[in-house]
Amino acid sequence: MPQMGFVEQLGIGALMTIQVAVLSYLLALAIGTVFALATLKRRLPVDIIWQTYASIFTGVPSLLVAFLFYYAGSGMIASLFSLVGLSVTVDVSPFAAAVAALGMVYGAYLADIIRSAIQNVPPGQFEAARVLLVPRPTAWLFVILPQVLRLALPAMTNMWIVVLKDTALISLIGLKEIMAYAKLASGVTKEPFIYYMLASVFFLGMTALTYVVSQRIEQWTQRGYRPVAAKERAHAL
Amino acid sequence: MHYDPILAWQSMPDLLAGTATTFAVLLPVLVLGLMLALPIALARLETGPRAKAAAGYIAFFRGVPSLVLLYLVYSGLPQLSIVRDTFLWTFFSNAYFCAWVGLTLTHSGYMAEIIRGGLAAVPTGVIEASTALGLTPRQTLFRLRLPMAARYVLKAYQNELLIMVKSTSAVSAITLVDLTAAANTVFDYTYDPFTPLVTAAAIYWCIVNLMRTGFTLADRKLNRHLART
Repeated sequence: MPQMGFVEQLGIGALMTIQVAVLSYLLALAIGTVFALATLKRRLPVDIIWQTYASIFTGVPSLLVAFLFYYAGSGMIASLFSLVGLSVTVDVSPFAAAVAALGMVYGAYLADIIRSAIQNVPPGQFEAARVLLVPRPTAWLFVILPQVLRLALPAMTNMWIVVLKDTALISLIGLKEIMAYAKLASGVTKEPFIYYMLASVFFLGMTALTYVVSQRIEQWTQRGYRPVAAKERAHAL
Repeated sequence: MHYDPILAWQSMPDLLAGTATTFAVLLPVLVLGLMLALPIALARLETGPRAKAAAGYIAFFRGVPSLVLLYLVYSGLPQLSIVRDTFLWTFFSNAYFCAWVGLTLTHSGYMAEIIRGGLAAVPTGVIEASTALGLTPRQTLFRLRLPMAARYVLKAYQNELLIMVKSTSAVSAITLVDLTAAANTVFDYTYDPFTPLVTAAAIYWCIVNLMRTGFTLADRKLNRHLART
């Protein structure tokens, strides 16, 4: 049987997993949005930066990126700052390395998702907003964004689950999250099966929760697409 | 922090040995995962208890991270005496075998869903026509439904395959020295993290982009009837 102390630790680790996953996803969302907006119009310099970025970060395992940030991160930051003549020493914690790695890798994927969602908003919506003299920020926020959400949400939900599951992998750089504690508990108690099963129950629970929440948000984003009148029951002919 | 080409060249044999391990893990997983996914996808398309079981299988193995599965198979299962005290132990004490089992389960979950989507996209008229022409269900499946589904799901399969290539980096957790672990070993010896990790990243990048190119060519060949003229 699992011992309560270890289960408690597993809970602490689970909170860490959620923290890392949420922060990474927010960073990915920010990077993705910036790249999506920047590459909407095709301009050569931006295009080159984006292609390079996407090619690197979608072609390399996130674990390797995390290792690179964790072990070589402080060196890379120091040499970056020495270019402008500053000497900076930063210690990169596993937490920061994990968030940076996951955020930058999945930012590349999210940029593609968000850009294609923006491109799939009917052009009439942009034109109508301009004709009605809606200020550009307002138009983006209240006309385009809700429609982008509707189109991008299924793919964004999938990406969230991928990020959450990848957080487990990133524990290998020494992050004290659920897998690390599960490993610790199984080492001490010699009952690895139970603790790894508990870890998988946590991930399954998070996936299930994600589906429930995403269903709610999807219903909300599709509110303009539902018929207002109550649906009549189809009657047998 | 600078890139050391000499060290990169010297560590190349280690990194290439790691790459070989990566492929030794990857290739059986791809074959076994595909073989396992097909019956599950077919069961998922039925109605009744088998469809429910298949849905449960897919939900479980897509919901659990591959690292958890690897740990479960590698250190979790030997806790059960049926694994430890019978002939099964000869298999499960082997890290390669555990990596194959763990990653195959993940891969088959995703592949079952992809194949199901592809099979569901085959027009019913095709199946009706083949039944009307007297083809057996087996012939219909292997001669018509699967070849058509393969064309539909090529893009999804490419994504899944590339994800699997990158997922193999998890096997370093169960003692296998794959490309990622090989780069870390070089780092342990030389105290230079930047060079081996960037070199390993470059090798992954080449593998992934070679596969992408292969898929683009396959897509051009298989889906040429869909090409815009």
